[in-house]
Amino acid sequence: MIHLTNIDKYYDSKFQRTFVLKGINLEVNEGEFVSIMGPSGSGKSTLLNIIGLLDAPSAGQYMLYDKSVLDLKEKTKVDYHRNFMGFIFQAYHLIEEMTVYENIETPLIYKGVSGRDRKAMVADLLDRFNMVAKKDLFPQQLSGGQQQLVGIARAIIGKPKLLLADEPTGNLQSAQGEMIMETLKALNDEGMTIIQVTHNEKFAGYGKRIIRLEDGYIRSDSDK
Amino acid sequence: MIRHFFINILRNVRHNKVFTVINLTNLVVGLAVFILFSVVINYELDYDKFNTNYDQIYRVQTRQEDSNPINYCTYSPPAFRYHLMAEVPEVEKVLLMREVSGGAKGSGQYFTLPDGSQLNEKDGYWSENTVFDIFTVKLIEGNKETALTEPSTIAISETLSKKLFPNGNALGKLVTIGKHYPLTVSAVYADFPMNSSLRPTYMVSMPTYEVLAEGPTYRDNWTNISWDNFILLKKGTDPRLVDAKIKDAFKNVKDYEKSFPYLHPLSKHHLSPNSQPDMIVGLAILSLAAILVLILACVNYVNLSLANSTQRSTEIGIKKVIGSSKKLIASQFIAETMLHTLFATILGLFVAQAALPLMNRILEKNFDLSIWSNSQLLVFIFLVSLLVGVLSGLYPALVISAYNPVKVLKGKLFSSVRNSFNVKKILVVAQFSISLFMLIVSFILFNHVNFILNKDLGFDSKNILYTEINVHDTTRFETIKNRLLQYPEISDAAFSSTIPFIGNIGGFITWDGAAPDERVMVSRNYVNYDFIPTYNLKMVYGRNFSKEYPADKEACIINETALKVFGWDDPIGKQITLYGRKYPVIGVVKDFHPYSVHNPIPTYVMFLNDNVISGSSLISVRFTDGNEQQAKAIVSRELEDILPRDPFEFKDFGAAFYLDGAISFWQSMKRMFLFFAVVTLIISTIGLFGLILFTVKRRTKEIGVRKVLGSSIVSVYWQLSSEVVQMLGIATLFGCPAAFYIYKTMPGAYKEPLSAMVFVAGIIIIAVIAQLTISYHVLKVAVSNPVEALRYE
Repeated sequence: MIHLTNIDKYYDSKFQRTFVLKGINLEVNEGEFVSIMGPSGSGKSTLLNIIGLLDAPSAGQYMLYDKSVLDLKEKTKVDYHRNFMGFIFQAYHLIEEMTVYENIETPLIYKGVSGRDRKAMVADLLDRFNMVAKKDLFPQQLSGGQQQLVGIARAIIGKPKLLLADEPTGNLQSAQGEMIMETLKALNDEGMTIIQVTHNEKFAGYGKRIIRLEDGYIRSDSDK
Repeated sequence: MIRHFFINILRNVRHNKVFTVINLTNLVVGLAVFILFSVVINYELDYDKFNTNYDQIYRVQTRQEDSNPINYCTYSPPAFRYHLMAEVPEVEKVLLMREVSGGAKGSGQYFTLPDGSQLNEKDGYWSENTVFDIFTVKLIEGNKETALTEPSTIAISETLSKKLFPNGNALGKLVTIGKHYPLTVSAVYADFPMNSSLRPTYMVSMPTYEVLAEGPTYRDNWTNISWDNFILLKKGTDPRLVDAKIKDAFKNVKDYEKSFPYLHPLSKHHLSPNSQPDMIVGLAILSLAAILVLILACVNYVNLSLANSTQRSTEIGIKKVIGSSKKLIASQFIAETMLHTLFATILGLFVAQAALPLMNRILEKNFDLSIWSNSQLLVFIFLVSLLVGVLSGLYPALVISAYNPVKVLKGKLFSSVRNSFNVKKILVVAQFSISLFMLIVSFILFNHVNFILNKDLGFDSKNILYTEINVHDTTRFETIKNRLLQYPEISDAAFSSTIPFIGNIGGFITWDGAAPDERVMVSRNYVNYDFIPTYNLKMVYGRNFSKEYPADKEACIINETALKVFGWDDPIGKQITLYGRKYPVIGVVKDFHPYSVHNPIPTYVMFLNDNVISGSSLISVRFTDGNEQQAKAIVSRELEDILPRDPFEFKDFGAAFYLDGAISFWQSMKRMFLFFAVVTLIISTIGLFGLILFTVKRRTKEIGVRKVLGSSIVSVYWQLSSEVVQMLGIATLFGCPAAFYIYKTMPGAYKEPLSAMVFVAGIIIIAVIAQLTISYHVLKVAVSNPVEALRYE
């Protein structure tokens, strides 16, 4: 599904070029659950952002289903975000002015799903995550784990093929972290491709494949 | 989707209360000022448009090319009506009018009520019946065809009718104009609208004038330029065609060879009655100021939006990540701005309506209007508000929607914004320059008005009562004077053809030693023996007129300015020539101000009026300190006894002085600039507020770190202050010279030397306001916990 060839990412300053990623070759197939690990500054998040079309590589090729997705038009990129991938962040990044319900509903609005269908889909997810009673609360009123659950719900409501998670448990206590990882695992079991960035060995173990980055290179890539 | 839109906007308002309140205040102030001036300008431009013949009505005016500068007079002689206009085929209707003012014997502007008391009514006209054909007048009672065709008839306005006949049914009743002449009410008409340049309270038929005045001889008068000749041109006629036909009208009139009649359209009567652009320039400046204020408000909105967007950047980033397009974010932001402006416009309309009385005071007008009743204006205002919404929403929308989600979500948005920050600084400097300028100019005007009010006029203006009177039983003035001087309250009395600030008689003279073709326009005054002592004028050479020298009747007294113009060393005995007659000079008075201090002192010549008072003149009475009321009672009683047939009304000279056009103009200007100073000050304070908000937000983390490292809040305060002081310094460089330029170019013959205080005061006020704004933000940061600022990431 994802095919990265010789991806470089660098920043030019006056006298030198600083590489964040260098010569990354990576293939991810449908249904995989990949954990990307590595020390701070090794390029994990940048790689995830490139895969998520939020950032562009400085060099290399990126094919999604055999189609190059570099230099896409704004419109096509937005379409990918709407229909193909979902994001989860360490800081949850829920919209503070919106209720739980509205946060989850928003991607569907952008997708143009009709009001009635939206209602049914949001209700379904709220039910699945046991959050029906909390649907009218605002993010600040929830615990971190609950906020991240809302983040996941928002990411998957559009039924994406690919879920990208940037340290989804970084801000959570371990019990809540485990709950989140269980949720991700269940989603993967249903067939969703997941790529997560994490510092936590234990949570990395939820993935079926672990990639270790160091100074922008892939140090190791191993199935569990 | 729509619902989502609105919920989002409302939630944003709730989330950013301070921002919303400040920004709405900014927009409301900007829009209210704009609306206010739209109303005023619209009102001024709408003058006279209620006339159905608006485009066809012209007044024949006179251009006198022999005066310097060329004099454009709104009047023309009555002979035009009878001898000139009748011969121009393009003219459909003619109308001769003249203001009732002592012109015909015994009329005056007074009505005598049945109980003997007098009712003083201004703006009465002698008029032909065609006034009803040319102007759009609604008759309440009477017949349009015959209302003003017969002698001894009068048409009165509804308001006057209610005053004279409180019980109604005015038609056919008798009113007494002046003291003796009974006239029959032939019509009652609805009052002319407030925005009509012609607003007669009553009109007396022209045949009455013929009876009361000199008879029909006025019809052949080519030199009495004090009449209104209105004409109705046939539809589609080019007025220039008529101009060409009548331009030689004065060719054979002696002394008026260089005067030329021309047609002045009704559309210009209000804004440019004398063919001078003063009022139009005034309106243009007003429009410019209103637009400027609106632009300043838009700029603020943009700045505040960008400052606030730091807070909303996360929201935008997330929305983009979960599939919102750039267009959607931008359009949502613009919609939000439009909603803000719409709301601000509605509030602004209420504020403007509430502020109209204030505007009336500032401009000394009487707008009897409601904003709500003018649908055209409302449409215009809402279109402008739409434009304001788009203009002030577009730039922030583009900036915000272009945020890179990766950077935004990592909190790295402001790592490279030095440039746009400088643009903001420039805008705030511009705003402060403008408000500093306005503030200093209003201080300068304050000083100027005080200066004009307090300047030594060269005569004693206190303790004087005066009245205009039209005496038609010739009386020796000594009789009057002796009766008045019996009372200790009265110290002197005089009569003259003009007094300072009231009346002006011009005339060309030549003098001994002038070049063959040299002549000069002088102000003439015909005075009696008592005029100079009554006004305490000082003699520099020679003496006052005296009864001991019968030859004084053919002599004159000049002022110092005249002396300089004539270039005489020894004036006594030298002669001037007026209309071919020679008058020797017997004295020179020290210069005094016969007109407002705004004007230079003219060349001034006094001639002796025989000690017999008759016809139109002014009586001045000097009373002793503190006895104004008693003196008024005494002179009124005595004069009533001596001249029972002639109406008069004694007034305090001081009041006339304050009503002087130039003084009220400067008072108006002063209030206007003060108003704009306050408005721009509010707007620039909001601008500064936004800028500091932006700076503080950008540096929240930096300030937090400093605090953790042990820096005191004072140093943060100093840092912000020094930036603002810098900007203020630059604003001073622009604002002060601009204000100085205004002072330099300010019209007026006499100005007080400029005091540095006006600049210092302006700068201090702005500095204090700026410091208060900084203090607000710094205090907010000071009480916040640095951990909050450092927590994220």
